[in-house]
This record gives sequence, structure tokens and C-alpha cells, in this order.
Amino acid sequence: MWHALKAELAYFWPWLLGGLGIAAFVMALLSVLVRFLEDGDGPPSFVIAIFPIIAGMVVAFIAQGYRAEERRSRMLLAGPLTPRQLAGVTVLLPVCFCGLGALATVPMIWLATLITGKFEPSALSVIAGFACQFWAYAQLGPLAQESTAARRQQRSTATIAGWAVFVGAILVLAASQFFMHSIYGYIGVAVAALAAMGVAAALYLRRSDFSR
Amino acid sequence: MSDHRPEPAARLSGLTKRWLGFQLGPLDLVLEPGTVLALVGPNGAGKTTTLNCMAGLIVPDEGGTEVFGAPVHPSRTEYRRDVGYVGEESGFFQRWTARRNLEFLAKSLPGWSNDRASRLGERFGLPLDKPVSKLSRGNKTKLALVAALAHGPRLLLLDEPTSGLDPVVRSEVLDVLWEITEDGEHAVLYSTHVLSDINRLADELAFLRDGQLVLRCGRDELSERWRRVSFRLHDEDVELAGVVEQRRVRAEHQVITKDAETTLHQLTELGAEAVEVSRMSVDEIAVQILKEGHHVARAQG
Repeated sequence: MWHALKAELAYFWPWLLGGLGIAAFVMALLSVLVRFLEDGDGPPSFVIAIFPIIAGMVVAFIAQGYRAEERRSRMLLAGPLTPRQLAGVTVLLPVCFCGLGALATVPMIWLATLITGKFEPSALSVIAGFACQFWAYAQLGPLAQESTAARRQQRSTATIAGWAVFVGAILVLAASQFFMHSIYGYIGVAVAALAAMGVAAALYLRRSDFSR
Repeated sequence: MSDHRPEPAARLSGLTKRWLGFQLGPLDLVLEPGTVLALVGPNGAGKTTTLNCMAGLIVPDEGGTEVFGAPVHPSRTEYRRDVGYVGEESGFFQRWTARRNLEFLAKSLPGWSNDRASRLGERFGLPLDKPVSKLSRGNKTKLALVAALAHGPRLLLLDEPTSGLDPVVRSEVLDVLWEITEDGEHAVLYSTHVLSDINRLADELAFLRDGQLVLRCGRDELSERWRRVSFRLHDEDVELAGVVEQRRVRAEHQVITKDAETTLHQLTELGAEAVEVSRMSVDEIAVQILKEGHHVARAQG
């Protein structure tokens, strides 16, 4: 499974680098504009951090689309991989891309600190909150895909369960916005993301058609 | 003394798959090592579904498949060592080069031989350093064949491998397939609606229509039994055994028979005159079987 996951990460690496490059450009532009044109302190750290995390989430969606379009499971199931391992690759990819996006916030904030001369350590929890939320959104992609596949394969219970968890996760995510200043907000987001991961993996395992 | 028979390359037992408004099977089919079986049928007959079930990409609703005695299921991996599959889509990393895709597969597939992959790549003249997305359809098929053959499978499943290829590439692909099957150890099941391929490669033919196997028999047997017969007979309502198509202009009759011997014997008894018998090509017979859709009793060997 790790070999396949590594290959997928290597394959989508140029997209991630491109996304992070755009994020860095936007961040630099914003920092310069706010710092020098408006003569302010520069944008807050959490604003800077949002861009690379969003880049990670967007690449997770791109990867999901390309993997489906290129019928990757056909190739991977020709080898020694089992559907369980393939499900692992499918749900771990968003984790990896959002995680890499979150990691990229460190040099971005450092760079912004250099430009603006200001650093707010208190912003770290806000950044963690954003990272968790975008990760949860990214996990909804595979869940929607598997719920659609279940419908196409006429597995009605799986379809209903998949879409019910999808709607439930969105409601939990929406409710969590009101509690993001406390631990309950984080727990809500994490529960939604993990539920989406778990159900997407379970639906993948119960597929009756891996040909597309 | 024990009667030791080798495991069949593939055994389909009551294989059934239902989609909305379509049912494949139940199919029962045995493919012995060394056999090249062409699965012939019109679009939507169930050829791809059959091959996908045999490759473990689709889970059947009932029945199942065994490859060299190992049950086929997506969650099992034992059978995969023996199966090479070329489908319409092969799942390659489209933006990677052909070489990089093969390198990835080399690390994934047990039994992979880099030597075999290079030889086949050279044999096909495959541009290995081009991204897969930039390869022509013919080259994509060649790459899929290299990927399917480099781990030395004993059963090859080919889903319309020559469809859309120009005659030169098609001939190259068929040459390689013919060489592979020459040793008598490999079994090949390939679906096609390019009927000219049949003569070149297939030992046996299985005709699928509306998800059902309507006929399976040897290519030579088919050629021997089917004939076009014209004769003169004044009896207007003559009913001949084995005849699948009949035309009549006054006393002149023209029939196509799937059992030439019986038909000719009957004609002799009826006193038919000016009997002329002509052979039919396998292509013509295949078209006839699929067009007429008459359900011929299975003649499995």
C-alpha cells in the first residue's frame, strides 16, 4: 500500500508544488501590499497560512478526479494490492496533501515574518483549526465518490448510508464553526473527517465493480 | 495409476452478473492451457463484463471463476500471478512516461521480468520515454500488452486488443500473441468484434449474445459444418434439418446450414437437383450466428 501511496504522491507532486507556488505568490503579494502600501503591520499569520492549506485540499480533489479518470484501481488491482489497501490509499491521499499543505505554512509564515517583521504565535491554534476544516472538506470528496459508485452499482443501503454520512458530516462541520474557539469545535471537525474517511473506506471495500 | 489432469487455465461456473436491464450468464466455460478462445459478440453482449469478472475487477452476483485452480475475487491475490489483462483502460499514470509506469509495475508485480519487458518493448518499437497521454492508441495497446506479459502470466485476458488499430499495428500485435501462444502453455481468452482476427489466432470460438453463451466450438469444426447450399427442388415447403437461413425463388433454393452433412443427406433423399455446395469463411459464419441469433445447442468439447 505504501508503495502505491508513494507513487500517487510522486505523481501529483507537481500539482502540489504548483499550488504551493501560487499560495506563496499570493502570500508575498498580500504581505507587501498590506505592509508597504497601506503602511500596516502586514496580514495576520493565519491568513497567510490559509493559502497553502487550501492548495493541499485542492490538490486532493484534483488527485481524486484524475485517479478516477485514469482508472487507477485497474492497474493497482493487477498487482498484489487488495481492495482494503486501495481503500487505504484513497482515504490517505487527502490526509497527505492537506498535511503537506499544513507543513508548508511554516516556511510561509517565516517568509511573511521576514517581510512584515511581525509574528503572532497565538495564531497557531487558528491555523490548526483551518487545517482540520480543510482536511475534513477534502475527505468528503472520496465519500461522495464512493456513495455515487454505490448508487451506480445498485447498492441501495450503501448509497443511503454514504449520503447520510455526507450530509451528517456537513452539518457537524457547520455546527463546529460556532465552537472553533474551544476544543469541542476541533473534536467536531475531527469526528466529521474521520467518519467520512471510515465510511468512504467501508464503501470502497464493498464495491462490486472495480473496473472504473 | 492416478489420472492426473492439469488444472484448467480458467473455469467459469454459473458466472452471473446483473445490471439494470441486463443479465450476463449463468456462464459455464472451461479454458484449457494452450487454448486460444475468441469471445465473439455484438456490443453489449457481455464480453467486457465476462473478462472483468475473470480478472477480478467485477464481483459476480452468483457463481465464480477459477484461474489455475485459484478462486478469482478482488480481495484475493493468489490468482493474479497467472493473469495478464489488457482492457480498454489500463489505469496507467497518464502523465508519466511509459518507462516510469513499467518501473512502477516492476516493483509491484511479483514475477516481473525487466528483461522480458525490455524485449517486448523493443519488439513493439514502443517509445518508452513518451508520456502515456501522448502515446497513440496503438502504442497504448502495446504498452498494456507489455505490462500484461512482463510478469509471465499463464492466462491472458484481452478485451478487444486490436480494436481501433491500423492494419500494420494490428498485425504486429497478433504476431506477438501468436508467438506467445505457440508454446501451448499459455491460454488466451480474447474478446473481439474484428472478425478477421479470428482466423489468425483463435482455436475456438464462443459466441455471446445478450449475456448468454449461444455457441462454443472449434474454429475448424465450425468451418467443416457450415455450408452455403443451392439446389433446385419443386417442393415449396421443404423443411431441412440444420438450416438457419433459407431463400427461394420459384424452384431455386439457397440455404445456409450449420450441419452440412445432415442437410445434404436429406436433399439426396428428397431428390434435389443441381446441388451446389460452397464453403463459408469463419467471418461469414460468425456474422450469421450473431445476426440470426438462433440459439444453437452448445457444442462444448
